[in-house]
Amino acid sequence: MHSIDETDKRIINRIQSNFPICLRPYHVIAQELNLDESDVIDRIQRLKKIGIIRRIGGNFSPEKLGFFSTLCAAKVSSDKIDAFADVVNSYPGVTHNYVRENSYNVWFTFIAPSRDDIESSLLEIKDRTGIETINLPATRVFKISAQFKL
Amino acid sequence: MLTELEKKVIASIQGDIPVSENPYRDMAEKIGVSVDDYLSVLQGLSDRGIIRRFGATLRHQKSGFTANAMVAWQVPEDDVEQVGDQMASFSEVSHCYRRNPAPGWPFNLYTMVHATSEDECLNIAKRISEKTSVETYSLLFSRRELKKTSMKYFSKE
Repeated sequence: MHSIDETDKRIINRIQSNFPICLRPYHVIAQELNLDESDVIDRIQRLKKIGIIRRIGGNFSPEKLGFFSTLCAAKVSSDKIDAFADVVNSYPGVTHNYVRENSYNVWFTFIAPSRDDIESSLLEIKDRTGIETINLPATRVFKISAQFKL
Repeated sequence: MLTELEKKVIASIQGDIPVSENPYRDMAEKIGVSVDDYLSVLQGLSDRGIIRRFGATLRHQKSGFTANAMVAWQVPEDDVEQVGDQMASFSEVSHCYRRNPAPGWPFNLYTMVHATSEDECLNIAKRISEKTSVETYSLLFSRRELKKTSMKYFSKE
């Protein structure tokens, strides 16, 4: 694992949310953390290069953009997982897909313009793979936070 | 409702913004608006909560959170509100949702927990169980990543 120092950690903790919206955002971050803008830019570029920061950008609630999102699960025998994943992953709205240790062993998230779009895609997936998927849309959100204190 | 310009700005910031002195100037140029207009649309989307979180996304594995588990809980419906709030208050819990149960799948509350090891995930789930008195639950450790990407909204691809 690449090493990161205390200054890197301060930068990471600062930029996971409320990224400045102004002409020179890295200058604002630098001022807040009492650093030089060029140092902040160099460090963030390095943190991206070594893979600690995946991306910097906007994260949206699908519902606020008029989209529908859900979590789906299927029971897939181990020899069919790759073929099933090829079909499921071909939908652009499938954003995360994992094999998990359970009788329901394939779990994926699905975002689409409407609930009907999801239902019809799941039927299509069943037609193409012979595998039934359960659809588990959230009915209540208690917490979403992708902020990690380092 | 979103304007066409708002949709363009959303499409432009759902990727990766440049790490350079004037990142928004470059992004405004790409969609053919002035940087002032770009910033005011972006600020509006942020103020209205349409952008849920604006900033860096980390790779958990590389930042020390090497283990994660989805924990599915079976909670009496009457207790869901209270238990959901309690679970959300754990700092190790990043996501907490209620979902309808399905045939053969009785769980109705879901949490994502992040830690440095699978044993630690188990400990966290045990602590949550003790605090909430919810005893029926299942930890689903991820064994293989089949896809991980960000949604592309309003993109012209």
